[in-house]
Amino acid sequence: MSVFPFAQPPTVSFYLIVYVLTLVLHAIFMTYVLAGSLYLAWAAVFRGSEETPRARSAVAKILREWMPFALSAAITAGVAPLLFVQIIYRQEFYTSNLLLGWRWLMVVPVLVVGFYLLYVVKSRLISNWPLPVRIALVTVISACFLFVAFCWTTNHLLGIQSARWPQVYESGQVVASLGALTIRLAMWVAGAFPCMSIFVAWQLRYYSDRDGRPASQVGGLRALSMVASVGILLTLACAGGYLATLTADTRSALLGSQGGPWMMAVALGSVVQLNGWWLMRKNGQLSTSSLSLVTGGCLLMLTGAGFLRELLRFVQVDASGVARNAKSAASVGGFWLFVLFTVVNVGLMAICVRLVRPALRTDAETSDQQTESPTV
Amino acid sequence: MSSVFPVNDYGPLMPGLVMAGVAILHVFLAQFAVGGGFLLCYFQWLAMTGRNEYARRFVEGFFKILLMISFVMGALTGVGIWFTSIQISAATIGEMVFNFHWIWATEWTFFCLEIVAGYCFYRYHQRLSDRTSLTLLVLYTFAAWMSLFWINGILSWQLTPGDWVQSRELIDGFFNPSFWPSLFFRTVVCLTLASLVGCVVVNLIPDLDRDAQRSLINRAAHLMLPMLLMPALGAWFLWAMPADSRSWVLGGSPAMMMFFMISVGASVAIGGYALLGLWLQRLYINGATATLLLLLAFGATAGGEFVREGSRKPYSIRYVVYSSGIIPEEVGRLREIGSVTNDPYPVTNEPDCPNPTVLLGAKVFRRQCAVCHTMEGTNGVAHLTQTWDLSQMRLNIAKLQQTKPYMPPFSGTPQELDALVHYIRWVLDDRPSPFDYQRDDAVLAQIQIWLDEAGTEASSLALAGEEWSP
Ligand code: HEC
Repeated sequence: MSVFPFAQPPTVSFYLIVYVLTLVLHAIFMTYVLAGSLYLAWAAVFRGSEETPRARSAVAKILREWMPFALSAAITAGVAPLLFVQIIYRQEFYTSNLLLGWRWLMVVPVLVVGFYLLYVVKSRLISNWPLPVRIALVTVISACFLFVAFCWTTNHLLGIQSARWPQVYESGQVVASLGALTIRLAMWVAGAFPCMSIFVAWQLRYYSDRDGRPASQVGGLRALSMVASVGILLTLACAGGYLATLTADTRSALLGSQGGPWMMAVALGSVVQLNGWWLMRKNGQLSTSSLSLVTGGCLLMLTGAGFLRELLRFVQVDASGVARNAKSAASVGGFWLFVLFTVVNVGLMAICVRLVRPALRTDAETSDQQTESPTV
Repeated sequence: MSSVFPVNDYGPLMPGLVMAGVAILHVFLAQFAVGGGFLLCYFQWLAMTGRNEYARRFVEGFFKILLMISFVMGALTGVGIWFTSIQISAATIGEMVFNFHWIWATEWTFFCLEIVAGYCFYRYHQRLSDRTSLTLLVLYTFAAWMSLFWINGILSWQLTPGDWVQSRELIDGFFNPSFWPSLFFRTVVCLTLASLVGCVVVNLIPDLDRDAQRSLINRAAHLMLPMLLMPALGAWFLWAMPADSRSWVLGGSPAMMMFFMISVGASVAIGGYALLGLWLQRLYINGATATLLLLLAFGATAGGEFVREGSRKPYSIRYVVYSSGIIPEEVGRLREIGSVTNDPYPVTNEPDCPNPTVLLGAKVFRRQCAVCHTMEGTNGVAHLTQTWDLSQMRLNIAKLQQTKPYMPPFSGTPQELDALVHYIRWVLDDRPSPFDYQRDDAVLAQIQIWLDEAGTEASSLALAGEEWSP
């Protein structure tokens, strides 16, 4: 099989697969926060009609309520891919960290600021604040997360440009091509919206089921289907644009037998999602079957994109170095310990969720029937 | 061959201080997040069993908010430490991650449990039965303590890798000689911090009368009882330390000694206050005193972390990597091929180097010395060598590990060493231009003799009475 990463030595494909899967897990929460904050900023600026202001919509309420948790989850989930990237791309990852220097160190304080501001937005307090302040607040939050996204993208691109390292060290110019960086970043940002929409859709579904309302009366369907569909189309457009910035060699790796199947996965995932949203919109309800379909499509798209991203990096770094890293890492013990505790802890987490099930039924805070709530 | 990484110059505040700052904040928050779990379990139990009628007020108050915030901040500052460590020594963090990646990954599964259990409790406990709430708290506390358990294995391995050095078995590295004393010691610290924060919070619960407050404070102070074990645990830890590291702490290095004394002094003050009060059974700690004690605890944590970071010198991982990122096995080879021969990064912090030799010297300094020294700021080499002539400098740097046993052996060619000496001289002379350098083969030959006399091993090992060769 020549599909990436299966054609690589077993240790290399093993670590790459673990890395990509944990990255996808991180992305599920990360996209919620990134797209969620941008959605709130948009809703604050383009307020909608007087009777149904966007900021009071069911979608906005859910986002405000759950974004602090989603950020904690994104950070926690992010630890695992952060670990494996260091195993596989030791030299590249550390060097780009060092070349980014203080800019890289800013990631943590900026996340701290974003985290606290999310709580401010969630609190009832701010409904009395003047509009410009509220707009500024959500804009700053979005800016925080965009900055973090910028840092990661820059870090990634620097890592694959080893020929530039000494020159970057001397000049401090971390960005080689602003165009390529922007379009890559735009691809991630646009791609965050479909994922976030699905997450929120499930939440809306859950609350309306619980409150005994029919699926056809769940608010937010129109907005979500719109956001998701536009997000998917923009992501595909950016991906096309990004392909154009690549060298012929790297592009052919993506389109050839190594990346082709993943390209197909992304395409299929996108079509399935567009179709699912269109169906739901047409029928006017967030049906379980369509939502499941869309979720499957999204996971397919994320996984495909994850492997394509890796393939792109892999063909540009020193592959023998990666093979050496993976091989010696595989000689270190502890894998079964990890498997054991993954099983145990997933079980314990399931128990936690079961334990709070009765309380979820009376969880009024996020119901979209809530009356007094902030309007950002 | 170890990798060469670019080195950043963060100015006069040497990187070690930045690292220590982030690390102290992190350790403080993360340890509170662990101890806070124990405290909440205890108070939930007191409330459920009717042992203290006010305990429920505490559980429902904002202590749990503090706990969630410190948990998230603990996770974030943890990532912060990770990033800062990369800035200081990518080689070190690389080895830690590499040798223990499945331990880190296992720890990660506990993080996930910690956040799920913690959040479930935090958000829903008011609508759950007492038993369910307690179950969630116990799960949270278990996960939090287990994350301490895993990370403790890796951190203690840095100081005392034990049998791992020979066997390279994960289990030997993890359950290393300082694992248990360090784990128990940290657990006691966690409980103490939570107890002190608890005392502050009790004082802030609205409309609670003095007796009610006192009863809660007496309960919270129970978590300080394990402090009685601290002297024994501390002694155990010191005993498990390598002899050379222990000697730095106990007076060999004035700075280490000072931090150690701060840590001990602050702990004695906290423990004394709490135990005396408890013993007299009338302990009441008002908000101001509790805050003061908490600050002392911060000082103790800070001192402790400085000692932990500093006492590993000249290693960042004993036997495995020197603080400079150079691997002990490589010293001999670097003395032949040069330490910066493969360093592609230009010197940027000295734009006015007058000749290639000084430039080379600046590069050698960056590679071998900059992690512990600055040129003219904190621990500035220019200042330290002020009174030495060229020949003394050559001798003392060639025998670096004998000059001070907490420095690694010099790991470059005689030419590099002479270039380093000229760089220091140039800085001491206020960076004149032009600045002459004449290559003198007799001098280089002499340096080679000194290097050979010093050998390629750290002298701290001899000091510890250890025979060890790679
Ligand atoms: C592992 C950390 C570390 C590294 C690496 C290191 N040093 Fe040091 N060095 C120290 C410490 C700690 C001191 C003690 C400072 C004091 O006494 O104030 C010291 C002291 C010195 C002194 C003063 C010695 C004396 O007898 O007063 C000189 C000179 C010196 N270092 C030069 C160097 C040079 C040159 C390098 C690079 C080749 C280097 N050091 C690398 C930690 C280090």
